[in-house]
Amino acid sequence: MLKTGVVQVSGRGSSVDFTIDDTEAFDLVVRGLREYLADKRGLWSNGAITVNVGRRMQSPSEVSQIKQVLQVECGLTVTRFWCSPEALEQGRAVKGHPATVDIPAIQPILTALPSRPVQIQAAIPDEIMSSGPDVADTQTKTSPRRGRQADALFIKTTCRSGESIRYSGDVVVLADVNPGAEIVADGDVVVFGRLRGVAHAGAGGDSKATIIARQLEAPRLQIGQYIGLPSKTDQRDISPESEAQIAYVRRRSIYVAPFAGRYARYGRGILYDG
Amino acid sequence: MTGKTIVITSGKGGVGKTTATANIGSALSMRGHKVVVIDADIGLRNLDVVMGLENRIVYDLVNVIEGDCKLHQAMIRDKHQNELYLIPAAQTRDKNAIDGDQLKELCGKLEQDFDYVLVDCPAGIEQGFKNAIGAAQEAIIVTTPEVSAIRDADRVIGLLEASDLQRPRLIINRINSDMVKRGDMMDQRDVVELLAVDILGLVPADDRTVTAANRGVPVVHDKKAPSGAAFLRIAARVDGDDVPLIDVGSKSGLMGRVKGLIGLNGSANSHA
Repeated sequence: MLKTGVVQVSGRGSSVDFTIDDTEAFDLVVRGLREYLADKRGLWSNGAITVNVGRRMQSPSEVSQIKQVLQVECGLTVTRFWCSPEALEQGRAVKGHPATVDIPAIQPILTALPSRPVQIQAAIPDEIMSSGPDVADTQTKTSPRRGRQADALFIKTTCRSGESIRYSGDVVVLADVNPGAEIVADGDVVVFGRLRGVAHAGAGGDSKATIIARQLEAPRLQIGQYIGLPSKTDQRDISPESEAQIAYVRRRSIYVAPFAGRYARYGRGILYDG
Repeated sequence: MTGKTIVITSGKGGVGKTTATANIGSALSMRGHKVVVIDADIGLRNLDVVMGLENRIVYDLVNVIEGDCKLHQAMIRDKHQNELYLIPAAQTRDKNAIDGDQLKELCGKLEQDFDYVLVDCPAGIEQGFKNAIGAAQEAIIVTTPEVSAIRDADRVIGLLEASDLQRPRLIINRINSDMVKRGDMMDQRDVVELLAVDILGLVPADDRTVTAANRGVPVVHDKKAPSGAAFLRIAARVDGDDVPLIDVGSKSGLMGRVKGLIGLNGSANSHA
């Protein structure tokens, strides 16, 4: 990690995180960022950049200023903005202040939800992910999950109808996913309650991703490009589903089996093809 | 006096928002509170009919907000309760006739003179819904034990949680105990488990509710109606009383209740 006062930079996989000091005055932050990048120009030229603004409450103009410095002045591509849930709460408390940071050209994917981190993400093209910057290249080769964010998004409240959660890593829900809700993760989807909404794991194309749920009752599952539908005879009546289940891809189809560990070998399973 | 504004909402239409508003409003005023009910369903006015006040309307909510009349001119006193007032919706306008800030300001003004301001929210999640929830400090969700109503309630709870209205409470309306016993209707445990919110009350399906609405007399005035009794209990809970929940879906009678209490109830077992 490189520390330069107001901006901390760390490389992970092929992605680079800029953590911006959330106590310093904003103009000082912008100046610090500019100085740092002027010094290290070219070093992060191809990485997927994540900007973490911590507890700082960002107004859209501040966000676009940071984006301006990174993208226009230094030619970097910002793929995500992060802020802490506290900042989100404050943002909501202030009248007329949008809870999500809205920037054109970056697509907001998580709408105002309480106590969840706000993330704004642009689609990360594959070529950027695989041709990471020099610093991260060696890490990428040894990493078991090439080209994927290692972190997980934890959701502690029920995901309700109409909510859509998209995340570039794993998504862990410590409650139910209700009918009409949608979870889309580039990594795994893990649900500690009932999964009755739609789940898509490996949304970036990774068919080795899995969907794990304590009660798997989803009307549709998707892993990578493969789609699975529950069988027409109601499985719920046959098995009490007292144990957790895992959905995985084998021979281009989705199978569901009792959960025995994330990296266990699953030979048998129920074909999930409607 | 500083009262509070409670919005009664559901997402889906026809689940009993208006009936619930009229009855909770009446019941709260029967408990000695000053209550005003606002029909926020502009263009589809019907709270006045349910309360039997349609012939007394001169001015409405939009007139008040646009400054055509004074606030007290649009407030219609209830036939049965002296301290219950209705502000009717405009029938010739639509939801965009008012905005959230205007309704919020109006409710803020009313809170100074009343204990409870109840807002009957229109169905849907569009402008009318946003106006109504923006004005309130608390929310009551009305649903019926049907998948469509529950799906919409779930969506609305999500929207309320994303706004400043935390911890909405749930009324399950029109529970048909015979159908629940037969296993043809979701019972309250299934609903509560799915929606994961606090329950405010259970209202049994009751023909007297319909009759009462048609006559323009809220069913809480009907001493024999089980649904009226349910709304009285709900009003008591809104008022902060600790009234135990009566399981209207399970077997009635003493043995049924005793079994329900000790967990031997048939429906409890079938969902264990």
